[in-house]
Amino acid sequence: MSTTTPSHRRDATTRRAADPTGDAPRGHRTQAQSGRSARTLRAGPGRPRSRRIAYLYLAPALALYTAFVVLPWLHTMWLSFFEWDGVTVGTWAGLANYREVLTDPALRSSIVHALGFIGFYSLLPIALGLLLAAVIGGRGGRRYPVSRTVLFLPQIIPLVAVGVTWKWMYSTDGIVNQVLRAVGLGSITRAWLGDFTWAYVAVGLVGTWVMLGLCLIVFQAGIQKIDSSLYEAARLDGAGPVQEFFAVTLPGLRAEIGVALTITVISALASFDVVYVTTGGGPGDSTTVPGVLIYRLAFTNGEVGAACALAVVLSALIALIVLAISRITREKT
Amino acid sequence: MSARFPRRTAAMCALLVAATGLTACNGLTPGGGTKSAAPSGPVSTALPTGNATLTVVSSENAGTTKALAEAFHAKHPNITVDFQYTGPDDYDKSLNLKLSSDDAPDLALLNKLGTTVKGNLIRDLDPYTQAYGWDTKYPSSQLDQWRASDDGKQLGAGHLWAAPAGFSVVGVYYNKEIAAKLGIGVPKTRAEFEAALAKAKAAGELPVQLGNLQGHSSFVVQSIVDSVDGAAKTSDWVNGKQGSTVDTRGGADAATTLSDWAKKGYLPEGANGTDLPGSVAAFTKGSGLFLFDGSWDAQVIDKAAPGKVGFLPFPGADAASKATGIGTSVAYAIPAKSKNPDLAAAFLDFMNTPEAAQIQFSTGFLPVAHADQVKAPEGNVMNEVTAAWGKVNTDNGLVNFFANTDATMNDTLTSQGQQLIGGKTTPDAYLAALQADWLKGHQ
Repeated sequence: MSTTTPSHRRDATTRRAADPTGDAPRGHRTQAQSGRSARTLRAGPGRPRSRRIAYLYLAPALALYTAFVVLPWLHTMWLSFFEWDGVTVGTWAGLANYREVLTDPALRSSIVHALGFIGFYSLLPIALGLLLAAVIGGRGGRRYPVSRTVLFLPQIIPLVAVGVTWKWMYSTDGIVNQVLRAVGLGSITRAWLGDFTWAYVAVGLVGTWVMLGLCLIVFQAGIQKIDSSLYEAARLDGAGPVQEFFAVTLPGLRAEIGVALTITVISALASFDVVYVTTGGGPGDSTTVPGVLIYRLAFTNGEVGAACALAVVLSALIALIVLAISRITREKT
Repeated sequence: MSARFPRRTAAMCALLVAATGLTACNGLTPGGGTKSAAPSGPVSTALPTGNATLTVVSSENAGTTKALAEAFHAKHPNITVDFQYTGPDDYDKSLNLKLSSDDAPDLALLNKLGTTVKGNLIRDLDPYTQAYGWDTKYPSSQLDQWRASDDGKQLGAGHLWAAPAGFSVVGVYYNKEIAAKLGIGVPKTRAEFEAALAKAKAAGELPVQLGNLQGHSSFVVQSIVDSVDGAAKTSDWVNGKQGSTVDTRGGADAATTLSDWAKKGYLPEGANGTDLPGSVAAFTKGSGLFLFDGSWDAQVIDKAAPGKVGFLPFPGADAASKATGIGTSVAYAIPAKSKNPDLAAAFLDFMNTPEAAQIQFSTGFLPVAHADQVKAPEGNVMNEVTAAWGKVNTDNGLVNFFANTDATMNDTLTSQGQQLIGGKTTPDAYLAALQADWLKGHQ
């Protein structure tokens, strides 16, 4: 069951994304490598022994993947066809849960909220990350290591802790309002998370803060592998730093932007922890996301089947969008 | 995955699925393997003579149960109590699993009945009630909160499923300093209460402190409903009695009043963004004449503002009206799979001794019995809470929390309460949403 909650999935994504921090040309090289190894395998169809050995190498990972990802996922799909409270014997419900999930207005608005979070979790951090990478992580080695570390820090803090911290900072007497008062903006202070207009933005900006460091690191690593002769050529042609950014850096980072987009879009659509801890979906229903509704359905309402159906729908939606992103970025490269 | 091996891969997956996951439970129907029969058989009030361990799982962190466990061990040295604490959020989510596991605990705290009764996870306590005579030792209104029908849907009557270990009651705290400064006496009627709010507002004081991030505006709403409609009628609704509705005179009064208070500026600006502890902290710092909150915060409030705070049950239409209060108990059930049910029942029986009463009281709960024998230090607000508790009990005015009526009501009260205060919904729509949730939970 726990593997179906979005928070879990998100952690896994972050770990995967965060570990190869220094490994620059991730997008390109891995694609090239997998292409090559597939060809090598195909080149030797007459040697079943090597194939068996290949499976042997794959076995441990495959077994773990099957046990902890594939099976729970299939189990989730299976449960989505039942009406089940988690304890007593469930009854077969066919597609009723899916009907309920797809016609519920609360669910539709939660999906709209999740899509809107793409702006805060993906677009904003990518734009800011590109800018910062160009400024502090440009050519000539790794400058500003301290700022880089500070900006990456949100990635290694558990999201629940992030949520608790921001909840406190956004409160009536929290740091955000203290700063606003100090600079003479006392008139706009409010309990940000309780405001129907601003709670959504406030939560979204937490996402921006969390994702920025990740984007920065990916882009900075990408810049390192751009051929320095391109920068020299640009400079000889009299390009300023801005032109240099648009003519050399940006095109050179396409693959990295694709990677960052994929990871952050998944985080946006599967967002749960921060929303759950800061607002719980409120005020009213202004910040509900599918993740929060899945949790409520499964653990509070005792509607495990409906929760699973919503989880399946959410997974399908994410898969579709991620597929679209990879299509788009692949065409460009 | 390369395109050459799909069939074999698919076959392998299918094999793995068949081998490990789905066939593990009895049949493929979820929940099919956990069904257990309700335990029956003779019960005994005798304690084991040899060494024994009583396992208790709980989400109560005031220290009450732990202190009770120690006192019980001191009384019966051969019995060790193994107290296991889990935070409230995680506790409710994992409770059913704990109860259905083979090494189930002997006692489990219940925050609500939930699906425990329907799932045959806890014992019917009727045999022990008879053996120990609990029905004569406890006021019926206290035990009734943990009675329910066999499917657990109709509360308030039927078998007893859990025994109380300490009560809490919600009422109105008031700041004595602000009241004295403005010349406001303790309001004895609803009209006097409203007049006090208007007076405070006119003098530039905040009339009602409130944190509604987690939906505690429901305390205001329920206090008014309880007091206008009376405890019996409101309890019917909370207990899920067929045909009940919250769209009553009291319901309309409560929703309209909350909405009006928000419009008149009687509530703090950031109520929807403040949680309950935040509002308690603000109240003890002097922001707010009144605060709707429970006895569980009495010690915190007394520590932060010693001697400055009083407590009263929400006043009724006139001074002779019966007192009402929102409240329920920390209650313990004996899991169906407990290996020491008799011992567990003996521990539950220990709850109604004078010794246990003092322990419950000094750790912040109102005792299940002997309330007249417990004492807090002079000037402590807990004395006023106890007085209010006594009045509510004498008038049979205790009503379980609205949030406990069904599984989803807490979320609905939170979301709807935030919208009502934020001016995003009307009192009528608020009541309709509450009733719709109630119907869904009790149909």
